[in-house]
Amino acid sequence: MNEDRLNQLARRLGADAAERLDVEATARKVVQRLREQPARRPIWIQQTWVRIAASVVIVVGGAVVASPLTPGHRSGVSPAHAHLVADDLSDLSADELREVLTSFDAIVAGDSGVVPESGTDLNELDTQQLRTLLRSPEG
Amino acid sequence: MAQPLTRTETAPPDTALIAAWQTGDEQAAAELVGRHARPLARFLAGAGAPEADVDDLVQETFIRAFRSVNRFRGRCQFRTWLLTIGGNVLKDFGRRAGRRKVMPLDEGVRDGRGDPHAHAEASEAEALLLAGLKQLPRLQREVFLLRAQQGLEYDEIAAALATTSGAARVHYHHAVRRLKEIVQDE
Repeated sequence: MNEDRLNQLARRLGADAAERLDVEATARKVVQRLREQPARRPIWIQQTWVRIAASVVIVVGGAVVASPLTPGHRSGVSPAHAHLVADDLSDLSADELREVLTSFDAIVAGDSGVVPESGTDLNELDTQQLRTLLRSPEG
Repeated sequence: MAQPLTRTETAPPDTALIAAWQTGDEQAAAELVGRHARPLARFLAGAGAPEADVDDLVQETFIRAFRSVNRFRGRCQFRTWLLTIGGNVLKDFGRRAGRRKVMPLDEGVRDGRGDPHAHAEASEAEALLLAGLKQLPRLQREVFLLRAQQGLEYDEIAAALATTSGAARVHYHHAVRRLKEIVQDE
């Protein structure tokens, strides 16, 4: 059987089924069904959006609940904050750095109950050494 | 209230009927059914729909098409788009039917007219072709029917099936080669 014969046969396929189809009746039934059966798609879309919204709430809520348990939050200082503190140090003068260190010593003394004797030694440090000293607690 | 499409001496194009249907004109929908129901029935029967179910499948195809007509972009003709929906409807029907015989080879090829001997030979050849089509992958079968039965150009087939014209051509030639093999083996 060659290609032409195949095509000839193909053109005949289903011809009887098509001839027997009552087109007017089919059209009436289609219109009737369209009228009687409301489209289900909008309902499906609505349900899908509700599911998506619920999923987003669960994910965001879970993230909010879980965030204090992450290592960065446990230590109280996030890497982002540490980075900002270190950057700020570059803008301070030697006197300002000494002031910060003194107040830092006061905070430590308040926590430990011991007054540091190193306060006077700060005057002997230059700006770079003061910055290094201030950055050292940040790890 | 939707305004019925104004009938003119020349038949309105499908696109006008679609636009009218989108505004709620049921008569436009009925006219589209009238235009395309028979070619769709031929396509479905050729693709393996049992003759007894062709009417239901035609209706279902039109229902799906009218409900999703907003997705019709006009890249191909409405009829071509409709035929591809028909292919999906038939696939779903086959799934639902489960073990039911979807492609009865002795039905749909009967024709009571003409010379009985010639008719018997033609019926036998058509039955062989139907059996061969059944063995093809769905894409090859649909491309073959769109080309050989519906007489569509490759560009049109490609647009409807979201593929390239070259790929459609390849599918068609694979289908023809396989059908020749199958028919000769029988």
